[in-house]
Amino acid sequence: MTDATSASAPASQPPRIGSILHESDRTKRRNAAERRFRLYGVIAISIGMLFLAALLFAIVRNGIPAFTQTYMTVQIELPADVLDENGNRDPEDLRKVSTFGYNPLIAAALERTVSEAGIETEITDGSDLRDMLSSAAGAQLRDTVLADPDVIGTTQEFRLLASSRVDGYMKGRVDRESLARDPNLSPEHLDVVDGLVDAGAINRSFNWPFITGSDASESRPEQAGMGVAILGSFFMMLVVLVLSLPIGVAASIYLEEFAPQNKFTDFIEVNISNLAAVPSIVFGILGLAVFIQFAHLPQSAPLVGGLTLTLMTLPTIVISTRASLKAVPPSIRDAALGVGASKMQSVFHHVLPLAMPGILTGTIIGLAQALGETAPLLLIGMVGYIATNYPDGVASGFLDPNSAMPAQIFEWAKRADPAYYERAWGGIIILLVFLLTMNLIAILLRRRFERRW
Amino acid sequence: MYDVPNSERTVTATDTKIAAKGVQVYYGDTHAIKDVDVQIADKTVTAFIGPSGCGKSTFLRCLNRMNDTIDICRVEGDIHIDGEDIYDKRVDPVQLRAKVGMVFQKPNPFPKSIYDNVAYGPRIHGMARNKAELDDIVESALRRAALWNEAKDRLQAPGTGLSGGQQQRLCIARAVATEPEILLMDEPCSALDPIATAQVEELIDELRQNYAVVIVTHSMQQAARVSQKTAFFHLGNLVEYDDTNKIFTNPTDKRTESYITGRIG
Repeated sequence: MTDATSASAPASQPPRIGSILHESDRTKRRNAAERRFRLYGVIAISIGMLFLAALLFAIVRNGIPAFTQTYMTVQIELPADVLDENGNRDPEDLRKVSTFGYNPLIAAALERTVSEAGIETEITDGSDLRDMLSSAAGAQLRDTVLADPDVIGTTQEFRLLASSRVDGYMKGRVDRESLARDPNLSPEHLDVVDGLVDAGAINRSFNWPFITGSDASESRPEQAGMGVAILGSFFMMLVVLVLSLPIGVAASIYLEEFAPQNKFTDFIEVNISNLAAVPSIVFGILGLAVFIQFAHLPQSAPLVGGLTLTLMTLPTIVISTRASLKAVPPSIRDAALGVGASKMQSVFHHVLPLAMPGILTGTIIGLAQALGETAPLLLIGMVGYIATNYPDGVASGFLDPNSAMPAQIFEWAKRADPAYYERAWGGIIILLVFLLTMNLIAILLRRRFERRW
Repeated sequence: MYDVPNSERTVTATDTKIAAKGVQVYYGDTHAIKDVDVQIADKTVTAFIGPSGCGKSTFLRCLNRMNDTIDICRVEGDIHIDGEDIYDKRVDPVQLRAKVGMVFQKPNPFPKSIYDNVAYGPRIHGMARNKAELDDIVESALRRAALWNEAKDRLQAPGTGLSGGQQQRLCIARAVATEPEILLMDEPCSALDPIATAQVEELIDELRQNYAVVIVTHSMQQAARVSQKTAFFHLGNLVEYDDTNKIFTNPTDKRTESYITGRIG
């Protein structure tokens, strides 16, 4: 059969052997395999996206309520005969009235507010109505009086924190059914709350104290905030950055550019890779043994946390720095040496600037990892109830007990009150915002420093 | 001089710049250069030719001790420049490399401006006392590299933005800016198109006025065009070293003849 006849043959005829117009069996099988592989890839990515979407949805849904807080606006009379028996406005005497001394004032004010709003309720006792407010309300009054004794004898308007149950009711977390089993608040209270909402005395607003405040005791979740933990994390990151960047980069430059290739450097290299895979809790117990038990640094201090996290971050920084140094083409080193630059000049003038984007990215990713690390902090005591109030926390710095964002979240998640559960999700949003910001900075720095060669 | 049989070991130039004697180079267990003796004359272009892997680049890199950067590389024998042993313990390779400039196979400008590329060498060697002097050095280097007219209006533009041929001339300018006495060129035209190659070759011919130029090339035509002396390397041996005319017209060794006629390599 010649080519000419086969070309003019009808389509029903079997194709000419070797025609490229027909897929051979082999080609069919190969194409099918490729299509299957692509399908697997698409499925894998879809599953990943699904999980990511579920995660983000859960975080936002559960965490967003923590960013609003319910307050009750009440006119409170501050009678002089209760708050300042001697009438001399002496700060020492004013201090003698404890927060509990202010509770009757709040109770009386609540009774009046409820009756003025025309709410009919079986709860007539003011101290019962007091349950609608946070137990921190007394302290808020006392602080106001101590700060400005002139308010004594007047009637002031106060915006007081509502209790976590009222807050939960406003956010839909608490309803009458769940309160039936709850000793803290009765369903009747909620009728009062409804009335006060109509009267404009109860409203929700953005919860700045959640971002700036400190942790609170178990019974006052409405008062708990991340502020102190954010500061603690900030101090730790400062320690980590100041220590791990220079040490890590110097070690990598030496290993990559100067160290001779021998068994010893191979051994170091293997160990650095292994250290990067060591569970973080091991670094925690190392920090406990070395920095606290041996060096006698204070417990729970951001300095110790920072040192421990530095140990953990160093391998990450060393590995990424070495990778980016390796990626600089050797021709640049040759060029510098060729014009008579010393080894060090060639590294610092040419190689390091080119490796900079990679080094910075690695460092920031290492920092982000350290920022989200909880386990080592548990062992050095950077978890728990830290009551330092916000402005004091700034000044007290590296050696005072502090917490960290992930440890604070862990602490809240442990607590029984569902209001703390909400705070834990809210804390995760704050943590994620910090992590995303750091990653964004890493991307921007890489763009900024990236150069072609 | 040419009528002396087997003269490759005894060629003497009137004004010897580099004298190598019994040079052996080992890469780990590999014996890359075997007992090479060669004398390279000043103000002359000397070409090293030979098939891939014959050791010509390795030998070139011995002349400014660039092989020092390779851990497993070991050099034996004597290499003298102006009568001084460059492998002497007292010699700082950094100082040597300022005297023996090098241009590499692939144009490798720094990712900096054209000006900074040329000024880098003079800066680190402290050759200029002020900005004006540095400007002069940069200009004269760019002129000698025949790049001044193309680059003078964009000295602050990145060197990596130039075309391949311009980049290679920039690298030559960078090498001559440090006022070397010897210029080593490792296949400087292998990454260039024919027009850029012609420009660089012309430049090499001009550089001969001031420097001893040693060029490694794969192109026999290039060796014939630019060099006065040619050395033929084969399997780590220096097979023949003579006037370029002689090598290409009447080689002494059979292997040289086979290579230049295309039978080996």
